[in-house]
Amino acid sequence: MSRFDDSRPEMTVEEFRLLRDHVYSHCGILVHEDMKFVMERRLWPRLEALGLADFGAYHRYLRYDPQRHAELEAAVESLTTHETYFFREPSQLKAFCDELLPVLEKRNGRLKRLRLWSAGCSSGEEAYTLAMLLKDSHRFDDWDVEVYGTDISRRVLALARRAEYGPSALRATSADLLERFFVPAGNNRVRVRDEVRSWVSFGHHNLLDETGSQLVPRMDAVFCRNVMIYFDQAARRRVLRIVRDRLVPGGYLLLGHSENLLNLGADFELVHLRGDLVYRRPELPGLTGGEGR
Amino acid sequence: MNHLPEFPAEEERYRALHELDPRMPGALEVLVLGLHDESWRVRHIAAEALKRLPSPREVAERLICVLGERGETGARNAAAEALAGLGGASLGPLVRLLAHPDPDQRKFAADILGQLGQRTAELPLVQALEDADLNVRVAVSEALGRVGGEHAARALEALLEDPEPLLRLSALEGLALLRCPPPLSVVVALLGDMRLQRSAFRVLGLVPQVAATERICQGLASPLRSVREAALGGLGTQTALAEPVRRGEIEAVVRAALRRLPDAAERLAQALEADDVTVRAGALVAVAALGEASLAVPVAEAAREDRLLREVLNTLCRLGPEGGRALLARMPDLSLPARAAAVEALVDLVDPSSVTALCALLEWAEEDLRAGVVRALGRTRSPEAVPPLVDLLVDPALAGVATRALGVLAGSARPAVLAALEEAVENRATPAAVAALARVGGAPALPALRRLARDVEPPWRAAAVEAAGEVDGAVGRELSRAALADEAVPVRAAGARAMGRLGGPEAGALLLPALHDEDVSVRLAAVQAVGECGAVERATELETLVRHPDGALAVAAVRALARLGAASPHVLREAAGHPDAEVVKAALSAGAVSEEGVALALALLGHARWDVRAAAARVLGDSGGPECLGAARQALEAEPDALARQTLSDAVERLSRR
Repeated sequence: MSRFDDSRPEMTVEEFRLLRDHVYSHCGILVHEDMKFVMERRLWPRLEALGLADFGAYHRYLRYDPQRHAELEAAVESLTTHETYFFREPSQLKAFCDELLPVLEKRNGRLKRLRLWSAGCSSGEEAYTLAMLLKDSHRFDDWDVEVYGTDISRRVLALARRAEYGPSALRATSADLLERFFVPAGNNRVRVRDEVRSWVSFGHHNLLDETGSQLVPRMDAVFCRNVMIYFDQAARRRVLRIVRDRLVPGGYLLLGHSENLLNLGADFELVHLRGDLVYRRPELPGLTGGEGR
Repeated sequence: MNHLPEFPAEEERYRALHELDPRMPGALEVLVLGLHDESWRVRHIAAEALKRLPSPREVAERLICVLGERGETGARNAAAEALAGLGGASLGPLVRLLAHPDPDQRKFAADILGQLGQRTAELPLVQALEDADLNVRVAVSEALGRVGGEHAARALEALLEDPEPLLRLSALEGLALLRCPPPLSVVVALLGDMRLQRSAFRVLGLVPQVAATERICQGLASPLRSVREAALGGLGTQTALAEPVRRGEIEAVVRAALRRLPDAAERLAQALEADDVTVRAGALVAVAALGEASLAVPVAEAAREDRLLREVLNTLCRLGPEGGRALLARMPDLSLPARAAAVEALVDLVDPSSVTALCALLEWAEEDLRAGVVRALGRTRSPEAVPPLVDLLVDPALAGVATRALGVLAGSARPAVLAALEEAVENRATPAAVAALARVGGAPALPALRRLARDVEPPWRAAAVEAAGEVDGAVGRELSRAALADEAVPVRAAGARAMGRLGGPEAGALLLPALHDEDVSVRLAAVQAVGECGAVERATELETLVRHPDGALAVAAVRALARLGAASPHVLREAAGHPDAEVVKAALSAGAVSEEGVALALALLGHARWDVRAAAARVLGDSGGPECLGAARQALEAEPDALARQTLSDAVERLSRR
């Protein structure tokens, strides 16, 4: 391919499979068979940036080059969609506020400490949403509160830390919430207010990395919504083991509305709220809430 | 919290089943008891554990008994889940269950056989279509749609004439799943029934005829949104399955139909919001046919569904500069996937008026989108795009793409590009500008390149050496020779690459030190260069590298030897024994047309990795003789991997014709 040639190499089925397997073994993200075109389009800029002629050469680059680890991260970043917005799935958030927050307030009242995890936080909308809901409830005003957002993509974490968003991210945000929790940032964009940002921190984490997960503190609730759709059954099981390990006994796991733990044999119990179904790590016999951190 | 009940005992039962030893005597009955538990979790873990018991046939028979326990809904559903999980062991008992006196049992059997999806159930299911009970027949019909096969398709097609609408509906859905459309006249007749219309349009999309497109387009004019969306779903399916050459024909029919509708754009905007992804796919095809630029933003937003990306890009590119301007004006409002698709499309949609908006986008767009914006700037054909592109040469992440964009822009604004690049080099903005300068400036740039090849900083020397080779062979060789003795690794590697491209009688000798360089990246560049310039006298050095534990070096050596025509049988055997599969594949590729390569391919049909087996099958298909057919057939029968199986199947077909 000439340096100035604007044409694109086509990805063969075999190259697709090799690249797909490589990504899967790194982070458990499964690119489905019918996503070859998407993979081709999203990885082509990487070939262009590296001056590689075709996807076979890119696969060899990922296998052999001294920069392969960084490049694999770049490839994963290119492949994962980061489409999210504030106050997504409002019925679940309402159930969380109305039914789970009172439980967590009562359980952690002695320590006055609350930890939430937005696992696969993308550009931060969910983590900030949770902090906003906590602020809005006024139950935790003088508490030690942390909402942790983690993602495998360093690029989206940089966006999350910047905390600036456009209209698309705000499509489910009411004018009232917009007024209370955001300030104008110019160019039709807004920035999350500092008082909310002070409760939120971000970190880089591969949800399949058991060692790295030790850096995540024990959580009272984990939001892992629309993340496991990227994984196959085996990877989902691994993620769930890690999430369970990071939850305090009795801690809650909230999945996306189209997700469930069926066929995963997970160690969670189903909790029927009035407005939603959530999962809970069973309590340890003889222990009460707030312990086991 | 009465709405958050506690289940301490449930947890204990759950744990007990979770930790149950499947080889323990009586495990089956304990787990069957678990299937009857009041707790969903306990029933689920019991169903999971049943799959691990050592005698799946015995388990399947026992589960069939549980299916018969009327009033035990939870247990029966859990047993059905477990039977589906047992796979082939369930088949026999389930087929027998199709003859059970209780229709409820027969329906369960059909449902689970459908979930299993095994072709061996096809004929028993076809026979079960004679069942006296309607619910059973419907379940059987649905199961046939999942199981598939020629008999299944014929039986489902026959059901389309059944007087019972529910059966006709399940048969249509089954045929859609199997992608086996009945004749067009049959489908068209079903379109008149409102209960079947949606499914009928879906099946219509499977019919690759203009008449089908025309009938779909009649649906687009319906006053009912549900009918329009069903028609769009059919259109989306038809377009996705159509040969690319038929695309224009389909669009022409759609265009003609939509132009008759005064509110076509509004209807399509509505359809782009539909929940059903096939409806959105059809709407994208329709927008492309109509060339409706006002829909650029909702079209871009359809990229939130990954599966629609191809259609989104195709449609956006059909909206012309007006569509491009609409996208640029609304960039901050778009979601991230929409913005990514829009940027990609803009490369084809921009014109000279887009420069300002693209530069504004560069200020805030996400890092990986900026590369697309840079490419779009290069396509504006405007001299105004030159300064921002030259400024980007200092950005390590964008320097490469900006260089290429300047190269494209030079086609329409050469003087401006050249002046800007000369200034950038003069001001030492970035070594990336050197390559661009050489490309655009040609021979007049040589004095500058010679000067830069003696620069204090290695990146400038490396850039100058490679660039000079592209402008003038003699100067390039001279500078490459010096570069190969440079103390800096990047310069030696650049010298090797340039020497490889330029070649010449001395190239092999000059590359020898680089083949023994202390730095692996220089050695790698030298190996590739030897292959590229045809320095066959260096084959011995390459042969020693075939065994190198570094896979990259070994692959490069095999490929270079193949380019030199020096991949001897000995080399191929050495490479085929390398622990790295990439080296083995390189050996197969290197020997593809030789007798030794064919022998190697036969030996590698049993390799542990699917990609090696597929590569071996390709060699056999390309170069094997009829004597290879038996081994290929045998390998095909034993092949567990779908992709390797496909390649083997192709090879068998080709070999059988020889």
